[in-house]
Amino acid sequence: ASAVPAPSSSQNRNAILVSNRQKGNPLLKHIRNVKWIFADVVCDYLLGQSSCALYISLRYHLLHPDYLYYRIRELQKNFKLRVVLCHVDVEDVKKPLLEVTKTALLHECTLLCAWSLEECGRYLETIKVYENKPADIIQGQMDTDYLSRLTHALTTVRHVNKTDVVTLGTTFGSLSHVMGASMEDLARCPGIGERKVKRLWDTFHEPFKRVE
Amino acid sequence: MVEFYEHIITELLEDSNGGLVILSSGLSLSKLISTLLILHSSSQGTLLILSSISTSLKSKITFHLKTLNPQFHQIPAEITADLPSNHRHSLYTSGNIFFITPRILIVDLLTNKLPTSAISGLIILNAHSLSETSTEAFIVRIFRSLNRNAYIRAFSDKPHAMVSGFAKAERTMKFLHVRRLHLWPRFQVDVSQELEKEPPEVVDIRVPMTKYMVGIQKGIVEVMDACLKEMRKTNKVDVEDLTVENGLFKSFDEIVKRQLDPIWHTLGKKTKQLVSDLRTLRKLLDYLVRYDAVTYLKYLDTLRVSESFRSVWIFAEASYKIFDYAKKRVYHLVRSDGIKLDGLSKSAKNKKRKVKGDNKDTEEGVDGASSTNSNAGLVLEEVLEEAPKWKVLREVLEEVEEERQKQGALREEVLAEGEDTDNGIVLVACKDERSCFQLEECITNSPKKVMSEEWKKYLLSKVQLRDIVHNKKNKPKDPKGFGILDGVTPITPAQNADTSSISKQEHDALLAAASGLKDFAKNDHVEDPSLPDFGGRGRGKGKRKIGSKNGPIVVDGSGVQNSNKKASTSDKFGKCDSKNEAHVDEASPASSGRFHEIMHGGTSVDNIVLRKHTNTDAAALNAKPLPPVHFYAIESDQPILDILKPSIIIVYHPDMAFVREIEVYKADNPSKRLKVYFLFYEDSTEVQKFEASIRRENGAFESLIRQKSMMMIPVDQSGHSTLESDLNTPQNSITRKAGGRKEANKEMQVIVDMREFMSSLPNVLHQKGMHIIPVTLEVGDYILSPLICVERKSIQDLFMSFTSGRLYHQVETMVRYYRIPVLLIEFSQDKSFSFQSASDIGDDVTPNSIISKLSLLALHFPRLRIIWSRSLHATAEIFASLKANQDEPDETKAMRVGVPSEEGVVENDVRAENYNTWAVEFLRRLPGVTDSNYRTIMDGCKSLAELALLPVEKLAELMGGHKAARTLRDFLDAKYPTLL
Repeated sequence: ASAVPAPSSSQNRNAILVSNRQKGNPLLKHIRNVKWIFADVVCDYLLGQSSCALYISLRYHLLHPDYLYYRIRELQKNFKLRVVLCHVDVEDVKKPLLEVTKTALLHECTLLCAWSLEECGRYLETIKVYENKPADIIQGQMDTDYLSRLTHALTTVRHVNKTDVVTLGTTFGSLSHVMGASMEDLARCPGIGERKVKRLWDTFHEPFKRVE
Repeated sequence: MVEFYEHIITELLEDSNGGLVILSSGLSLSKLISTLLILHSSSQGTLLILSSISTSLKSKITFHLKTLNPQFHQIPAEITADLPSNHRHSLYTSGNIFFITPRILIVDLLTNKLPTSAISGLIILNAHSLSETSTEAFIVRIFRSLNRNAYIRAFSDKPHAMVSGFAKAERTMKFLHVRRLHLWPRFQVDVSQELEKEPPEVVDIRVPMTKYMVGIQKGIVEVMDACLKEMRKTNKVDVEDLTVENGLFKSFDEIVKRQLDPIWHTLGKKTKQLVSDLRTLRKLLDYLVRYDAVTYLKYLDTLRVSESFRSVWIFAEASYKIFDYAKKRVYHLVRSDGIKLDGLSKSAKNKKRKVKGDNKDTEEGVDGASSTNSNAGLVLEEVLEEAPKWKVLREVLEEVEEERQKQGALREEVLAEGEDTDNGIVLVACKDERSCFQLEECITNSPKKVMSEEWKKYLLSKVQLRDIVHNKKNKPKDPKGFGILDGVTPITPAQNADTSSISKQEHDALLAAASGLKDFAKNDHVEDPSLPDFGGRGRGKGKRKIGSKNGPIVVDGSGVQNSNKKASTSDKFGKCDSKNEAHVDEASPASSGRFHEIMHGGTSVDNIVLRKHTNTDAAALNAKPLPPVHFYAIESDQPILDILKPSIIIVYHPDMAFVREIEVYKADNPSKRLKVYFLFYEDSTEVQKFEASIRRENGAFESLIRQKSMMMIPVDQSGHSTLESDLNTPQNSITRKAGGRKEANKEMQVIVDMREFMSSLPNVLHQKGMHIIPVTLEVGDYILSPLICVERKSIQDLFMSFTSGRLYHQVETMVRYYRIPVLLIEFSQDKSFSFQSASDIGDDVTPNSIISKLSLLALHFPRLRIIWSRSLHATAEIFASLKANQDEPDETKAMRVGVPSEEGVVENDVRAENYNTWAVEFLRRLPGVTDSNYRTIMDGCKSLAELALLPVEKLAELMGGHKAARTLRDFLDAKYPTLL
């Protein structure tokens, strides 16, 4: 149930919708890699189906300490990702940043700090561009050879170690055979004790979903 | 034992509370501490020495304890986290002396596993590297609150580090809760009187540098000066400290860093570049007197390739001279035609015969090829300037040997009396292991051989270097390469012109040389297996053996030969060169290992024999015989003087601390005759640096003495408690505002993972008045409340764990088990509070940028909360304010989180009731399964076992594509490779 006003055209779907409140914000100059258009939205920047951002500069926060809280409250529960984009533009950050952090954290917002308007702009661009991107670049490079992939998969099961992977591999010959192995066969493998057998078997045979 | 140790110890023992001792460096802190430890008796209680895992100081203390008092069986054992806690408890109460790491001690203190009343005192060895937030300070604070009678004795032999920053000595004393400061500079009366009573005979030799060396040094100083001037212009740093003299020291970087770090992100590229240029220049100065001409040139070449195009110094006027002279020390480029060429190679008498022959061959070959090459007539003439000190070292050694032989008859009598007085051992001390090896080569073989050896390596690396540049050019697709590529290309053409012509000749020359050496290499292969084992020490020995018999070239030859079997020519050279380097690498740990054994093993004599060369080979080569010599790398930091008891020391690279060690050694053995030679390059920065280091230390002590006279340290016994409140009040404002923890009568609790005690945050949280509960956590680092779980990342950690994927998984588990999962990004107080300056951001959204990674993390875990903290203290305040309205965390629950219970069901797992989480995770890790299709797979089949049986068509249906289905099916059915 998304509260986003249905985008009028596919063009709008690929653009950041910017609230009219943000008119005159020099930050807009720095959104260059993505299209943006003014629109009537409750957040400052609408970045996707269910993600949005509020912009706050620490200097502004010092003048209007309650502003952020009211803006967040306005958002209600309509978004999955609610970013508070905080422009750190004062020297003594300790107190204002503490307040912003606390407000964001206790009202279910993700705080992102940026130290320049360029950086602010880049965060908005990136979140828009990466809207549907898988997480693989932050999941670490995994070796793609068979053994490492097999080890990676099998070690999901707690306490199964690399040696066990070798044991299972050599005993059953292939992963599909490991997955289909009976409890007795698993138990016959050296180094795989009662508990590991149970865990392995449960992983393979318990249904993915316990309740339908 | 020298007498002033007694003075130091007596003074220190006067105050039962302990004290802080600052000693001149080189006055052998390890000996002092061993002397102190011997006074310990187990009736006093247990004595704990705080020390990190491996320091040479620790092994030196152990060594001195053994020699000082062989009956003293109590060599301190180590208490580590590996020992079970009941075992640790019995050690704590045993009354013995132990080394202990701060991390385990603080955990035992916090969990009340340390019986503080059984502890007689703490010894802290590195007072200069501590701060208010270090774990050591945390330990002392808690320890003092539990046991007021024990002593705390802290030591440092780095006085200049004790004066960095504002009133560091005083602050250190405050947080260590000691009231006495003991200063023992070298110029202190007791110390200087004793050390100068019977000084060793000193010969100071000033070696003039060669014309080119002087030129290079002048060039570097000029460029340095220019860089410093530029730096002053930026108006970002305190001008006073910016002198060339300061620039000679490593600590110069620290001075600059301390000033610039807080504003680092605001600095322009140029200023940053200047800072790194100055560092490079300092290294160049240092290496000028340490490396031989060829190695120096090699280093310069590497710099030219690796330095970014922005570097200021490379394009400075004087830099040209540096490069030019460095080259002239090694070779001249002569323009000539083919006829002259021939004459040249004949005239190059200093070449080794074989190399010469090969050169002839190949030069002809080049002539043939040169018709296509525009640089046809360029020929290099080897100069291979030797380091002037080499010759002097040889002369000194000859002189020593002459004297020895004169005293020959006399010496035999002495020997009969007792070897101790004059064993004729000669020790040569250089800065690093590398120089040791080279000098050893120099006097076993000849300097010429060493030079031609280096020359050969140089040419090989030249080929490799060129390949690197080539590779970069060949991969324009690589997105990372762009920046570097732009930088490299403008530099290389000029260089390439001559490299290509040189290395082309040498390329072929060396190839021929390699094949010529094949026969030798084969002999080697027969010889090799006869060596007992090939790893570690064995290898070192092997190399030595071969080296002395056939000359180390043979080793190179075998390397070439091995790689000859494979691949194309250009590859070959890359490989064989890396092999050469591998040899060097392997050799150095082997030799340091040797020293180690000298210290511990009874077989030391053999080892020493190995290390020293008996001069049969050299004698054959040279008219004058040389004495057996030992080489020692000052960097390796061993109690070498006490092990070897040399009677002649040649200080090849002067070092203040080592000179002091010699003084102490002499004072320790007043009856021993000791002659010390110093080899300085005349008018060099080496001399300047040596003298400046003494001045600097004296300056540090003078400043400490001044500080001591004005120090405000509470004197009365109750002063302890004032100290305590002193520490707490300034940072405690928040809690006081909230009513104060004492009035509230309720202590805030934070559960902290054991591994977190490496960092300072637990200390600061404790200072804030929070109760710290150390446990082993499966999920998260800090648990603030039943809902809030925090994963702390320092900036460096953050970048690293993004790359490794660790952070993703940590967040994933936190999200699974806690309502409010938090990522804490912790900046360091003295560094800039930002990732990058605006100018570094670039124009495009790139996957490698930290902005992209954080955005992606936020997109994938919208429930994740992020805290950006300026400093440790800011973090503590944020924690306190977050906890304000929350329940206290439950220790046992926190420990259980993420740990599956016996039935395999994970507690607190929000999804566990509905999903078989392990199976889902397993599924998602299979190839072909993606974020977008795993749900449909789960809809279409019940379990993994069922999935394993599905035909590929059905899989294609579920996975929305034939390719993915094929990938998965193939993976499932792939035959497991047999490992035999």
